[in-house]
Order: sequence, then C-alpha cells, then structure tokens
Amino acid sequence: MPVRKSYVLLGSVVVWIFLARILNGRHTLQIATYENTSFTSFVGERALSIRGNRTESTAFIYFFNPIRGVIDGFVQAIRDLIAVPAPNSVIPIIGWLGVIGIVAFVVFATSQWRTALLSVSLLLGCGVLGMWQFTMDSIALTLAAVLLSLAFGLPLGIWAGLSDRALKVMTPFLDLAQILPTLVYMAPIALVFMIGAASATIATMIYAIPICIRITSHAIRTLNPAPVEASLSMGSTSSQTLRKVQMPMAKQMIVLGINQTVMAALSFVVIAALIGAPGLGNPVISALIIRNVGQGFVAGIAVVFLAILMDRSTSAAAKRQETFIPPSAQDIKRKRLTLLITGILAIVTVFISRTVLWAAIWPKEFMVARQVQEITNDVTAWILENLFIFTNGLKDLISYSILNPLETILSQSPWYLTVSMIICLAVVIGGVRTGILAGVLAMCIVVSGLWFESMLTLTQTIVGTLLTMIFGMALGIWVGRSDRAARSLRPFLDAGQTLPAFVYLVPILGLFGPTRFTAILTGVIYATPVVVKLVSEGIRSVPTTLIEAATAAGSTTRQIIMKVQLPAAKKTIVLATNQGLIYVLAVVVIGGFVGGGGLGYLVIVGNSKPELQGKGLIAGACILLLGVIFDRIMQAGARRSS
Amino acid sequence: MKSLFRRRSAVLSAVIAAALVVSGCSSSVNDSAGEASGDCGSWAIAMHAWNGYTASAQVVAEIAKKELGCSITQTTLDEGPTTYDAMEAGTIDLIIEDWGGGRWQEWTDRGAVIDLGDGGNVGLIGVYVAPWMVEKYPDIVDSKNLGKYADLFKNADSGGKGAWYEGPPGYTTIGEKMVSANKLNFKVIFAGSEAALIDGFTKAEANKTAFIGYAWQPWTLHAKLPNLEKGHVKFPANDWADAATASGLTDYPSTPLKKLVSKKLNDSNGAFMTLIKNFKWTNDDQNLVALDIENGSTPEAAAQKWIDAHADIVKTWLGK
Repeated sequence: MPVRKSYVLLGSVVVWIFLARILNGRHTLQIATYENTSFTSFVGERALSIRGNRTESTAFIYFFNPIRGVIDGFVQAIRDLIAVPAPNSVIPIIGWLGVIGIVAFVVFATSQWRTALLSVSLLLGCGVLGMWQFTMDSIALTLAAVLLSLAFGLPLGIWAGLSDRALKVMTPFLDLAQILPTLVYMAPIALVFMIGAASATIATMIYAIPICIRITSHAIRTLNPAPVEASLSMGSTSSQTLRKVQMPMAKQMIVLGINQTVMAALSFVVIAALIGAPGLGNPVISALIIRNVGQGFVAGIAVVFLAILMDRSTSAAAKRQETFIPPSAQDIKRKRLTLLITGILAIVTVFISRTVLWAAIWPKEFMVARQVQEITNDVTAWILENLFIFTNGLKDLISYSILNPLETILSQSPWYLTVSMIICLAVVIGGVRTGILAGVLAMCIVVSGLWFESMLTLTQTIVGTLLTMIFGMALGIWVGRSDRAARSLRPFLDAGQTLPAFVYLVPILGLFGPTRFTAILTGVIYATPVVVKLVSEGIRSVPTTLIEAATAAGSTTRQIIMKVQLPAAKKTIVLATNQGLIYVLAVVVIGGFVGGGGLGYLVIVGNSKPELQGKGLIAGACILLLGVIFDRIMQAGARRSS
Repeated sequence: MKSLFRRRSAVLSAVIAAALVVSGCSSSVNDSAGEASGDCGSWAIAMHAWNGYTASAQVVAEIAKKELGCSITQTTLDEGPTTYDAMEAGTIDLIIEDWGGGRWQEWTDRGAVIDLGDGGNVGLIGVYVAPWMVEKYPDIVDSKNLGKYADLFKNADSGGKGAWYEGPPGYTTIGEKMVSANKLNFKVIFAGSEAALIDGFTKAEANKTAFIGYAWQPWTLHAKLPNLEKGHVKFPANDWADAATASGLTDYPSTPLKKLVSKKLNDSNGAFMTLIKNFKWTNDDQNLVALDIENGSTPEAAAQKWIDAHADIVKTWLGK
C-alpha cells in the first residue's frame, strides 16, 4: 500500500511537470503590484471607511477606542516608571541603577543569587551597548503584554483544563493562532487600534495567550488524579479542590507556562516595532532599512540579553518550586535576613537613582556601542569583499538549481493545473476530505486575485522547508543519538527558538543582498531549531528494545538509522516537517522587506499605500490560507501514518 | 515551605512598595537638570528611514532640545498612512519631509493632520543606470533604447529578463508601469530598502556590472558617485501628479517636499511650532548633513555641526 502511494505521488508530479511545460505562461493570473482586482479594491474601500469612522462610529467610541486608551495608559505608566523621562524632567521615575537594584532583588527573592547576578550583568550589558532606554521600553511593553496575557490566559487555561467542552471549543482557535504568521494580523489590528503601543500590546497578546492557555490546561489535565479524587471524596467543593489541591500541584507547570508566555511576548518585541511599539525593535528595523549590519548587531545582542534574562529568571523561579525538602528554621531565618538586607539595598539604589544624575541616565562614557558597530561593519565588509564568490555562488546555485525551476512550474503554469495538483496531493496524502478542504481553500486564493503572488511565496516556502529538513534531519538524528550533541547544541537551539528572525535578517541581508535567497535563508535559520528538537525527540522515543534487537542482528549504524529509527519515528518526522513549513512560511513573508517579493511584500506595501491597503489585507489572508492548506494536509498525513 | 513562600512574597511586595514610595519622593536630579524644563513641552518626531530625512529631522530635534528646551522623542515609522494614523492617534507630531504628494488628503480633510507647506527641499525621482554604462552605451539614457539593452541586466533573480530595481515599499514608484507601457523586457524587483539601491549602484560602478534602478534627488549617493546624474534615463516630460493615474510612458514629476504636523502641535502655537513653521533649507544643506551621517558620524553630531556653522539661518527659524 505505501509503495503504491508513492508511485501515485511520483506519477502525478511527472504529469504535472509535463503539463506545466506545455501550458507555460497561460492563465497565470498575474497582475501588477499597483493593480487592484474588484475584490481587493472593495476590501480597500471598507478599510478606508473604517479608518475614516474611527471618531464617529459607535463601535469605536464605546469599544475599540476605550480599549486602546486603557492599554496605552497601562504601557505608558510602566514606561514612565522605568524608561522615558516624565514631562518636564530629564529622567524616568526610576533611573537605571534603581531598575537594576529592583530586578536583582526580585530575581534573588524568587530564585537564587546566581541568577540575580546573571540578570544584573545582562542588564549592565544592555546599558554598555547603549541600548538602555530601548531595553527598558521593551521590558515595559513585554511586561504589560505578559500581565494582560496572563490575566486572560490563566483563567481560560484553567477552564480548559477542567472542562472538556471548553477545551473542545478553544482548540481550533489555539491551532489557528499557532499557524498564524505574525505579519498577517498586524495590519488589521493597526487598522482598528491604530499605530502605537496599544496595537503592539494586543498583537503580542494574540501571540502569547494561546501558549499560556495550552500549558495551563495541560498542567491541570496531567495532574495525578489520586489527590484530586481524595479531596472531592472528602467533601471539598470543586472550587476548594481547584484552589487547595489542583492549583498548588500544577504550580510548577504553570510557572513554566508563564515562562513560555514571557518568551512568546519577547519574540514579538522586534516585529511589533512595525506597528509603533517602542523598544529594541526600532534600532533593529532601522538597521534593516539602512542596512547597517553593525547597528542591527548591537540591538540584536541587546534582544538576546533580554531574552536570556527573562528566560533564566522565570525558569529559575519555576525550578525553585521543585524542592520539597522543608527548610529548617535556621534556613528560614537566614533567608529572611538576607532578603531584608537586599531589599533595603534595592530601595537605596532606587533612592540614589533619583538623586544623582549618573545613576539616573546611563552615562555616555560607559558605552561601547559605536566600537562594536564599527568592528561588526568592518567584519561584514571583509566577508562581503572576500567571500563574495562563495556567498554569491551559493545564492546563484540555489537560485538556478531549485528556486527558478520550481518558481516557473508553480507561478508560470495555469492556476487550474496547480490547484488540481494541490488537490491531488491532498487526496493521496490525507484522503478525500482533506482533498476537498484543500481544493476549497486553494480556490479561495484564486478568487482573491492574488494567486500569482501566493505561488511566489509558496515556492520560497517549499525551498526553505526543503533546506530546513535537510539540516534539521541531519542535526536531529545526531542530537537524537548522542547525548553530547544534545548538550552542546541545546543552547543554540534554545537561542534559535527565542531570537526574533529580524535580528539575523540584517546580517543575512548584508551577505546575500536583496534577494529571495535572503528571505529563504532567514526562514531556514528560524525553522531549523524546532525541526531538530522534534526529530531528535522522535528518534529518542524509539523503543530501545528495537534498536538492541537490530544491533544484535548485526545491523550497522547506518542500517539502524535508515531501517529502524527513521521508520519508527515517521509520524514525528511528518509533524516536524509540518512545523518547519509553518515556521518557514511565517518568516519568508518578512522577506518582502528585503527583495523577497510575493505576498509578504504586498502586506508591507499595503501598510504604506492607501490605494493598496485592501490588497495588503487580502495578502495576509492568503498567507494564512496557504498555511492552513499545508497544515491540514500534513496533519492528515501524520494521522494516517500512525 | 509554604509559609516561607508566603513570607517571601510578603517581603517582596513590601520592598517593591517601598521602592515605589521612594521613587515618588521628589527627585533632586529633576531640579538640578534645568535645561530641559522649559515650557516647550514634549513632542514626537516621526523618523522615516532615509538619510536625508534623518538629517532634516535631527537638525530640528537638536535645535528644539538645545535652544528651546523641548523634550523630543524620535520614533522610527514607515512613511505614509502608518504615520498619518499615528499623528491622528496623538503619538506623532511631526513629519519634516513628506514625499507623498497628497496621500495625506484624507487626514487633512478630517483635520487630524495639518499641511504646513514646503520645507525647501525639492524631490526628483528617476530611473538611473550605473554611470559607467553611459560611456560604453551612450544611447542607453534614452528610454526608447532601454529595451535593446535588457539582456545586459539579467541575473539569478530576474527570471530570464533584465533586473529592474525599485525602492522601498512606501516610495512613490511607477516602475512596473514604465516597464509594461514601454514594452521593456525587464522584471521589476522591489529591493525593499534605500541601502539596497545604494549597494546596487556602488557595486555596479566598482565592478563595471550592469544595474538599473530607482534613484532620486536630494540623495547622498550623488556625492559618492558624482557621475550618477549622467546615468539618469530620460523619459518624455512628466504629465502626471498622482502615481495612480500615471501612464508609465512619461517621467516622474518634481515634488516640493512638505512639512506635516499633528493637530495638537498646530494648536499649541508654542516655540516648537514656530520653529517648524519657519524651517526651510535647500537640497545642498540637507546633503551636507546626510553625507556626514552616511560617513559614520552620529546624526546628533552631524546636525550639531551644521547648526554651529549656520547660526544665522537657525536664528531666522527661531523667529529671533
């Protein structure tokens, strides 16, 4: 059966390529960037009327505008506290020394002194890089978004953890939010809530809340049922059980959920600058636009520092909950005393930061931003000059060998041919129902009028996924088989997962210029860590008995990998491919900023040209449609292969 | 364990509360740092991402900070509706150089954005080839002859046609129309950034490779490649003002660049508003500052240098 399936796939691909050759250039539905279809211009007019009605329509006056006001005020309050000078003043309410004192104290109180020391040095690092105010702005925005996300996410997560029906209702939304590329929902949000901190906060929340809900409900669902049953049988009410038994037991997991929520919010920090968020995103984006690799690098490091700080301090707090050894009376006393002393120290730093100028505003003498920038720019210039043959050769190799032929097949053949091919693939991989769904969604793209651009984006996504899987599988198998590899690669994988793609988009742009390849490579770097993690988990979960049996039968390592571990981990690998594809898609569209073209460029151009606004919004929807089509096909495929 | 945790959170909140109380006390830094406590108020300038804009905005910002004691924030934003929306929302007060040619109409009609007229700079957009090509192919600068040279411009990304590079998303552009209306065998590639164009032109000139792309005046690249203007491809004289109605057969118009302010700033009638109203300088002035920035000086230092050297002009802007 599986053999026949792959023959069908191969056969249809051959027929497809053949037909694409014959019908090349016909019915491609290509329209110029400045052209609107009647549908896109209709959407554009609707969007314009929303813009115009902001001050008049009741929905805005009584609903959206108050929400915007409240969130804006909240963010601004935190910014006034630590980041921006108050009116008629040159310093924020708490200067840098005070912020460091408070952070050190909070981290020390919730975890341990080592983490506190790390946090302090990371913050000092941000200051030395000349990014103090941007960092504080980012912290303010992240803090606001995380607090609001938790306010919604924790109750919803607990509800979904307790009630099967609630979980069932929420799941499709959670799934959708997870494959929704960030670039897609920013424009609609900015349309309703305008450019500014409120829009950025709301967009961040949309990204972070699903993660919070998922982990919280998972935490409650995976609890040991015995204590819960005992509590209920002893006559506790369900709310008592929740508060006294389930919540305390799930606490560690929930803190982990908070950690993940913080990281999700933080990974939004850069891209949120596109819709007016204050913070580290601004220097990164402007570095991208003026292509100043050094500036992007400096700001990128500050983002990394901030990510490590947030990650370590929250995950250390989670670990702390683990210990069940009751502390001795002496321990408590000592701890309380040190807490008191450090607390007083923190207050003193706040006081100093309000009395002395050098403790309020980061002194210019303690900055190396300029030097770091110059060194980075010199290094990049050297690489550009001396490795040009290599970088350009790599780019041209990929472009001529895979990218161009695939783009010709997808974008230059008639739309009906490609749609039938998508349906055909969906039926073979996922079954008839998946085929119908894929067909309907593909037709939606056709009707939207952005078929041609969608195919450009699809090409880049496929090539990116291909490269991701090549790297991801190789590394994943290695990590899955060797503990040492797992240990040494882990920091890179973690960093890769939390770093916003924009941070490395700038240096890649420096190396490969404004091309599709730059977009694809950024996607590959973003998606590879996830694939490596999933594949290695799949390899590790293969029962050891199987491998021992194969070894006993005299198989070579190569045979064990190819014949035992990979087939046994097939389902995970299909899921990893799916994740990889969704991740690549989410980043490839950002490539519109750097010459990648396709749907991403339309989204961006729609933001800046009113006559193309409708087209930009539709382009966002098409990105989503592409994502859903492939997610459904792969999910169905994974389900079948198990 | 539990009691320890409770105590710990109690201490935690006590300390934070105390820290907030301390931070609420009057600060002596504020009193001693009097330079910024003028009654100018605090204003936000939109920072668009080309160096010329940075030059104008930074000069204004430095004067406002040093001479008027305003508190100025500078926010990087895309040009066009993004920024107009921010002005309507009250988060941005000033665009010092707008190329939009009337795209703000809808916002000015609503009174959310006010057009303060010309800032003195005049923008001229055009299609340029790398200057070395003009010597080798003298007739290339006539748009009628572009077609026959299309093959020179082929590369990995242009799909068998010539590669024709356009600027960032927000810029006024009719490149696609020019290509199709003149039946040129080119593929339009949106480079996405000014830097990509600078890079394209300079690399092409250095390596004697072919390059055709979007360029404009005032632009610092003209200082780096003094022959660039020779590469300006001539299309028939401009006959349109709104890019949406352009045929693609004729050239870009020259655009007086505008100063736009928010309603709040316009109504303030304060010292900063006077400065913005009076601000006016030439393309040469702007290029002077922009070139310094491009050569590695900080925008602040470059602006200050110009301000120090042109005290008389600054004085007229301040209305003194």
